Amino acid sequence: MIAPAGSTLWLLRHEMRLTWRRMTERRGRRRGRFASIWITAAFLVGLMLIAGLPLGFALRRVHEIPITPLSSLIGAAIVLIAFTLMLSQTLAAAVDALYERADLDLLFSSPIAPRRVLAVRFLAVSFSVFALFGMIVTPILLPIAVMGHPTWLAAVLVLFCIVLAASGAGLLLAATLFRLIGPRRTRTVGQVLAAVVGAAFFLIAQARNILGGAKTASLFSTIMQMSADPRFQHVPGLSWPLRALLGEPLPLLAAIGVGGGVFLIANQVLGARFAADAAAAAGAGAGGPRARAAGRMRFVASAFAATLSKELRLIARDPALVAQVLLRVLYMLPLGFVILRQAGQAQTLVLPGSAAALSLVASQVAGSLAWITISAEDAPDLLSCAPAPTRTLRQAKVAAAVLPVAVMLAPVLIPLAVLTPWIGLSAILGCTASVAMAAMMNVWWQKPGKRADFRRRRSSSWLVTIAELLLGFVIAAATGLFAAGLIGWALIPAVLALVGVLMLSRSDAQIAQALRAAS
Amino acid sequence: MTDALSIRGLSKTFGGKVAVDNLSLTVRAGELYALLGPNGAGKTTTLRMVAGLLKPNGGEIQVFGHDVLADPAAAKRVIAWAPDEPMLYDRLTPLEYLEFVAGLWGVPPEIAMPKAEELLRWLGLWDNRGERCEGFSRGMKQKTALAGALIHDPQLLILDEPLTGLDAAVARQVKDLLQARVNGGATVILTTHILEVAERMADRIGIIQHGRLVADGTLDELRARTGEGQATLEDLFLELTGGDEAPAESLPA
Repeated sequence: MIAPAGSTLWLLRHEMRLTWRRMTERRGRRRGRFASIWITAAFLVGLMLIAGLPLGFALRRVHEIPITPLSSLIGAAIVLIAFTLMLSQTLAAAVDALYERADLDLLFSSPIAPRRVLAVRFLAVSFSVFALFGMIVTPILLPIAVMGHPTWLAAVLVLFCIVLAASGAGLLLAATLFRLIGPRRTRTVGQVLAAVVGAAFFLIAQARNILGGAKTASLFSTIMQMSADPRFQHVPGLSWPLRALLGEPLPLLAAIGVGGGVFLIANQVLGARFAADAAAAAGAGAGGPRARAAGRMRFVASAFAATLSKELRLIARDPALVAQVLLRVLYMLPLGFVILRQAGQAQTLVLPGSAAALSLVASQVAGSLAWITISAEDAPDLLSCAPAPTRTLRQAKVAAAVLPVAVMLAPVLIPLAVLTPWIGLSAILGCTASVAMAAMMNVWWQKPGKRADFRRRRSSSWLVTIAELLLGFVIAAATGLFAAGLIGWALIPAVLALVGVLMLSRSDAQIAQALRAAS
Repeated sequence: MTDALSIRGLSKTFGGKVAVDNLSLTVRAGELYALLGPNGAGKTTTLRMVAGLLKPNGGEIQVFGHDVLADPAAAKRVIAWAPDEPMLYDRLTPLEYLEFVAGLWGVPPEIAMPKAEELLRWLGLWDNRGERCEGFSRGMKQKTALAGALIHDPQLLILDEPLTGLDAAVARQVKDLLQARVNGGATVILTTHILEVAERMADRIGIIQHGRLVADGTLDELRARTGEGQATLEDLFLELTGGDEAPAESLPA
């Protein structure tokens, strides 16, 4: 059936087409696109074989899940975790929708009601977030449903309801921020908030590591304690999330009502204002955010210093990038606390693993930053027609990627080196090696583009992304073994990493040739 | 006296397509030279090769005696390149942009600072010096890019369509600035589709088509060559490029 032009379905089809193209665009050319489809299919089948089938067999004799306070709390926790993770994504998408307007001007200048434009845009966001979560849940649920629990497939529907609620909540949050702090700050604060919301459950779950074992308990033991608490025995509606997940009709209807309701109310309330907010967001730049006290000049006669300064400024003014780095820092917090507490108590058994983890985090953050500083360049011709050597400019860009990583890791690495010198030295060596690897990979396999395009085009190729990740793991393994004093064993992954790096290296001439071919 | 620009036998192909075909031209120091041509004639490609952004397949380019291919850094030091799309960073302020460009060209701070202030004041951007470029109009962006092109006091200023999309006031300001640079001894090469600008401002005019220079000289020399004493540059341009042969019946109603 062909939807009439201008209808919600017609607009949704247009949005979904654009979403699909953006998703497949990340993988570059046609061959890469097909490869990504195959890899996704392999992932789904693998998940079904590894997790879905064994669970299906294990659960086939289970008649039904008992509805107890404990199981109800677990069900509610699952729904809440899914909601926060999805809210993180939908909030970021809502902020993007206000600022990265793309075709919004075209749509708002058409006779289609802004409310409909907004509803469709967020429905498309909901679908893409749902696809991400559905891809993990469905291959596991499907064998379980086939082997005796068909009603459990309702969990997929509940998942979609959670996405709808998260979309509505994300939209409301973004609009509230817009009202409270204005268009200039909403973008940065929204992205950072999205990162914090995404990490919230992880941080709560890791509260024990952050605050110390004596003060807090693990998430599961907290749930156990709560379920034993008589007050939780009679909380009305506590079992409904679990019942909905298991496919009971009334709770399932309630989930549909809540998810759809939040989505519809958000669109109803905000639809008319969205066009005005988006226009205000576009106009926010017209006054031009003031970057710093006007008139202060910091001229330097060095291409290296000027480029380094420019890159650091651009990193600091990129809310999405700041949020991404902040997210990694948030994930690293518990690790840092564990390391320092263990080092303080001279419990060196856990420390080698932590040193390895630090090295892995360092490679990840350095990789993200180096990818942006090296490949994302808005004025490549300006650099090309400058008399400064390319090598100098490149070194400055690498330095700009490495400096924030050093600042991020120093509060953990320095005390670690003081408390346990050997572990500290190992961690510093591992972090240095992994950061150097990530930087070199991004120099060798750079793929220039405009900065604005880089959120959609995260990586250069599957090969490089996977190689960077694998090499990060191998260096982390070498770091861990080295920290544990197993120097002979550490040499094996160290040599492997070196061979991998050498295999992927490119000369300046090869890089230049690749860049010419790409332009 | 050394020529500002000397191009001999320059060629460039993209795949099998010839963009610049054995082109030779000379621009004298201290003149304003307008390089004209229909769309796709090879103007931008030629100028990008002069600025060191593209490697030619053949030929040689000298800028104030510096071989662009053999010693690009020496040539780049005296050139400024300003394309039609301003080479800017949205999240930098004009002042920060000038700091960056001055650093790239190694301009000492004691020279760059007063120069930046002078340029920004002259171009009417001083009050906006602390605002990020992302909110600027096209004219303001173009002026910021122009300030960047001038911060190192280039001897040869190359501008590709510098007046595209500018309002009358900003266009006048840019034209005045270019004239002032020429009066100050600098050499300016510009491409433009606004032929009146070339007619009024240029000391000499080059017309390029299919990657070849089809005419070169002052306006009077071009008129003498076509034998049309009172012809406008538009008439000469159309005659030399064959643009006046477009079939009238192809015009839309």
